[in-house]
Amino acid sequence: MYALKTLLNQYLRFIITAFGVSLCLLMMFFLFAIYHGVSEGTVRYIRENDADLWVLQRNAANLLRNTSILTTSYGNQISDVKGVNSIAPILFFTAMLILPDNAASVYLAGYDPQTGKGGPPEIIEGDTLSRDDQIILDYAFAAKYKMHIGDKLIVKDDTLVVAGLSGGTNMFVIQFAFITLSKARDMIGFPGIVSCYQVFLKPGADGDSVAEEIKSLSRNLTVFDRVTFLNNNIHEAETGVLPMLYVIGVLGGIVLTALLSLILSVYVLEQQKDYAIMKALGASDGFVSGIIIKQSLILAGSGLIIAVLLLEPMLKAIEKFSPTMSVHSSVNQVMIISVALLVIILLSSILPLFRQRRIYPIEVFR
Amino acid sequence: MNNTLSSAELVEVTKIFSRSGKETVALDNVSFRVNPRELVLLLGPSGSGKTTLLTLLAGLQEPTRGEAYIFGKRVQDYSPTALQKTRAARMGFIFQNFCLLDSLNVLDNVLLVMHFAGIPKTSARKHAAECLEKFGIGHLTHAYPPTLSQGEKQRVAVARAIANGAQLIIADEPTGSLATQQGMMIIEFLHNGVKEDGLSVVIASHDERITKFADRVHHLQDGRLIEQV
Repeated sequence: MYALKTLLNQYLRFIITAFGVSLCLLMMFFLFAIYHGVSEGTVRYIRENDADLWVLQRNAANLLRNTSILTTSYGNQISDVKGVNSIAPILFFTAMLILPDNAASVYLAGYDPQTGKGGPPEIIEGDTLSRDDQIILDYAFAAKYKMHIGDKLIVKDDTLVVAGLSGGTNMFVIQFAFITLSKARDMIGFPGIVSCYQVFLKPGADGDSVAEEIKSLSRNLTVFDRVTFLNNNIHEAETGVLPMLYVIGVLGGIVLTALLSLILSVYVLEQQKDYAIMKALGASDGFVSGIIIKQSLILAGSGLIIAVLLLEPMLKAIEKFSPTMSVHSSVNQVMIISVALLVIILLSSILPLFRQRRIYPIEVFR
Repeated sequence: MNNTLSSAELVEVTKIFSRSGKETVALDNVSFRVNPRELVLLLGPSGSGKTTLLTLLAGLQEPTRGEAYIFGKRVQDYSPTALQKTRAARMGFIFQNFCLLDSLNVLDNVLLVMHFAGIPKTSARKHAAECLEKFGIGHLTHAYPPTLSQGEKQRVAVARAIANGAQLIIADEPTGSLATQQGMMIIEFLHNGVKEDGLSVVIASHDERITKFADRVHHLQDGRLIEQV
């Protein structure tokens, strides 16, 4: 009763404070959403790929930051291994796209459009590739650079037409783009190479023994099953830009704790006489402490409600103004931040609670 | 000395305050007692030690030397919680500037004390309303202290002091900021409370007009009780 009424007594300050808290929380939500969006977007291409095995050059363990170059001669050898149903060669390389008004780098993937293996996990708009002079762009990339189906762009002196826009291909720092394998080889100037082979097993084939057999073909080959390869890429993503987001998130939490602590300390100082009166009238320390914690809960709770209400519009606005910013929010994130907020409330109440203990009822008589 | 009968008592109490190495004697070997059904007036100029004496009677601080008793029990023998509960349930306070909580309305100001006293909510509400009616301020239930006149504030303060069923009322300069007639009304009420409800009341004041309502009058000067009438 007293906790809420005191806060509402200065409703303007209460509103400003609640908004301040909500901004801190929005920042944490935002970082979480980016973290989730990036970590998901970075590996979605691999996660949604149904290859049973990935064959790469020795010492390469992931697609994100490792280079793998294999000759096409391995393709026939791998196809002949017992238990292998089919293979899909893919050629990855980064390339600069010359757009009508801009230029930007993409992570080009050359794949065989006949099988579709190694292609984009999802086509949001337009079609898959049917000709060598076509390209599929990431949806967020296209939105950022205002590219549409049918638009033309230049890659390494070749003019390509945008055939489709893909989803799940935004890696935050760079986006995937897809062309035919033959065009990719043509562009790179070495027709006899690929980056890796996806291997699809026959029903009932034992993945481990097939992998061993492929490895035995050459010391230059390394083979990963789907889960291991996905984990390798997740690990790579998490050791990249993502830890920085964690640090910023933690800093946001510290700022929020300091902010709440400061606000509550000011409230305690302002209500010092009231607390002294209450203590003189017989209030327990616990009662006064309860007021401070309740005020902290009310402020933080109000901030949380505002933040949750503003979250979706904020993420939509971010996606609109910065489409390549891969953001993804979920109920889980709200739950995690709510728990973190509870910890922040307790931490931010410590200093005001200490201050409260130094308020003596005798002060009323002065 | 009969500790069991007094509502509050100080026996040969000295209170010394130390600040920056300098000692100030606020009370010097004072013995003072408030009996049930008694209104005791403590007269003295500002700085004479009246307020210190009241705080000792309320158990808000302990004497440097001597003994303080509340309802027959040594203050030092109370646990902090027991002392707080005793203040909440058996004592009422009227402060010089009334000290109402501005963020709570009149009813909530009274209810808060009853909450401290552990009075159940439903009966507290009814009793609080009755208290306010008794002082002619029933219509101000939802008013906030900053909107009240000094006289109205005083009546709320007195209603708050008795709402918890207090046996001992401690009043510090209760008429200090009031017009003569308003001030005396409240003293009359406390006087009636002593006679009809068996309250113990101790009033610290420099207002000599209260003398006629007091069963005993003590004069305090420079921390010493110099006279008892």
